[in-house]
Amino acid sequence: MLWWAPMRLKDKKAIVTGGSRGIGRGIVEAFLKEGASVLSCGRSPVPEDFPVACVWMTADVSSAEDMERLAATAGLVDILVNNAGVQVERTVMASTDADWDHVIGVNCKGVFNACRAVLPRMRSGGSIINVGSVSGQAADPGMALYNASKAFVHGLTRSIAVDHGPRVRCNAICPGWVETGMLEAGFALASDPEAARQDALMRHATRRFGRPEDIAAIAVWLASDEAGFATGQLFTVDGGMTAASPISPGIY
Amino acid sequence: MKLEGKTAFVTGGRGGIGRAIVARFLKEGATVYSADLSVGGSLDRHDEDGSRFVRLDVTNENECIAAMNRVQDEAGRLDVLVNAAGIEIEKTIEETTLDEWNRSFAVNVTGTFLTSKHALPLLRSAAEGGASASIINFGSYDGFIADPGLAAYCATKGAVHALSRAMACDHGPEGVRVNAVCPGYVDTPMLQSFFEGEGSGGGGRTITQLQKAVRDVHPMRIYGAPEDIANLVNWLASDEARYASGQLWILDGGLSAQVQQMNP
Repeated sequence: MLWWAPMRLKDKKAIVTGGSRGIGRGIVEAFLKEGASVLSCGRSPVPEDFPVACVWMTADVSSAEDMERLAATAGLVDILVNNAGVQVERTVMASTDADWDHVIGVNCKGVFNACRAVLPRMRSGGSIINVGSVSGQAADPGMALYNASKAFVHGLTRSIAVDHGPRVRCNAICPGWVETGMLEAGFALASDPEAARQDALMRHATRRFGRPEDIAAIAVWLASDEAGFATGQLFTVDGGMTAASPISPGIY
Repeated sequence: MKLEGKTAFVTGGRGGIGRAIVARFLKEGATVYSADLSVGGSLDRHDEDGSRFVRLDVTNENECIAAMNRVQDEAGRLDVLVNAAGIEIEKTIEETTLDEWNRSFAVNVTGTFLTSKHALPLLRSAAEGGASASIINFGSYDGFIADPGLAAYCATKGAVHALSRAMACDHGPEGVRVNAVCPGYVDTPMLQSFFEGEGSGGGGRTITQLQKAVRDVHPMRIYGAPEDIANLVNWLASDEARYASGQLWILDGGLSAQVQQMNP
């Protein structure tokens, strides 16, 4: 064994959308560590503590124009991570037109916009990694548009893999519950957020929630040439949560 | 009547779900063979239901051959085979003995293999007339996602799912459709035993509280009745389902459609 690990994304150029915090930030940092040059974007100006090695562009994925500008700035790339996403905690009956435009605009049209803009500038052997969700396969209660938007991402992932292979690979990561602001927002909905957190922990074989670096680890692998035969698939990383029946662990 | 003129063979036919299937098939006009270890089956109750009882241990190949010979002699045909016989060991792999493991596979997997193998010649000739013959295996939602302390059971049901697809591929061209029904929680002796078993009763709860807790996890706030499963099996057995093959049919009141629920 070498005392140092060779950098797995050396000489690769990557775009990561929504890299300011949470999972996206974890992916940006992991990509930099593995030797990639990274361009990230978000709706806000560059965050204060953002890694200086990563180029930041203020851009909204739901805008086709912004994504065209992002892709043109990046030039030829090897990796695109469609991480930017939003969630609205509502049922269909409670959802407004504005909720639809927001969730579908970012989670669905955003992924489409970025793929359409970047694909023509992708080097052969390129890898697109979409962030789907376990909620795209089974429903989280009260998250109707979010759940549906992630199922769209899963479908688009397969289409891109089929249409643009062998030049480009395309996969989706389905994170379970990852310690981010989005998870906290979910717990905040419970009548007893701390009890809800404990209950949720018991539903994970790992007895812990995911961390952004857990998702970044699979993103690095999917971006690397080691994953050369992986395309069109959904990779669930959820600490075993969806392997278990939804029956409450406290019941038996 | 959807099954008029058809002959059906149901293993576990005197158990919770099997009995409901037998009753439904009879109502739909089929000639029904109800196979089980004893006349009373797991319900330990014998009702004269109008089916023809076959004493059968599905793990015994000679008994399976004899059963199919009897169907051939008496009815002259077999259109539908339902493999509903099954057992459940409520243990983790560490607690499961090799005997229990082997017994689980013998009944749930080998049993399905043996009855299907020896029913195939009859099913094939029934399909020659144009209408398809149908095998309905019993998988489980536990073949997709695990309940705690049911390791061998989960594994056998996963095996049944794969076997169902394999059989569908191999025998589809011969006119035999093969599907698996994957029930969630259904009110049967097996479920009640699970509620009363060693793995349950957690937190000093009564059976009634336990039952309510399980119901409440389901989006429909119920668990199924054997008749719910029989409704689907009846459709899969009928000619209406002539394009349905090789699939796993989850019927669980929405239980597995949800991600883990956030409780309190």
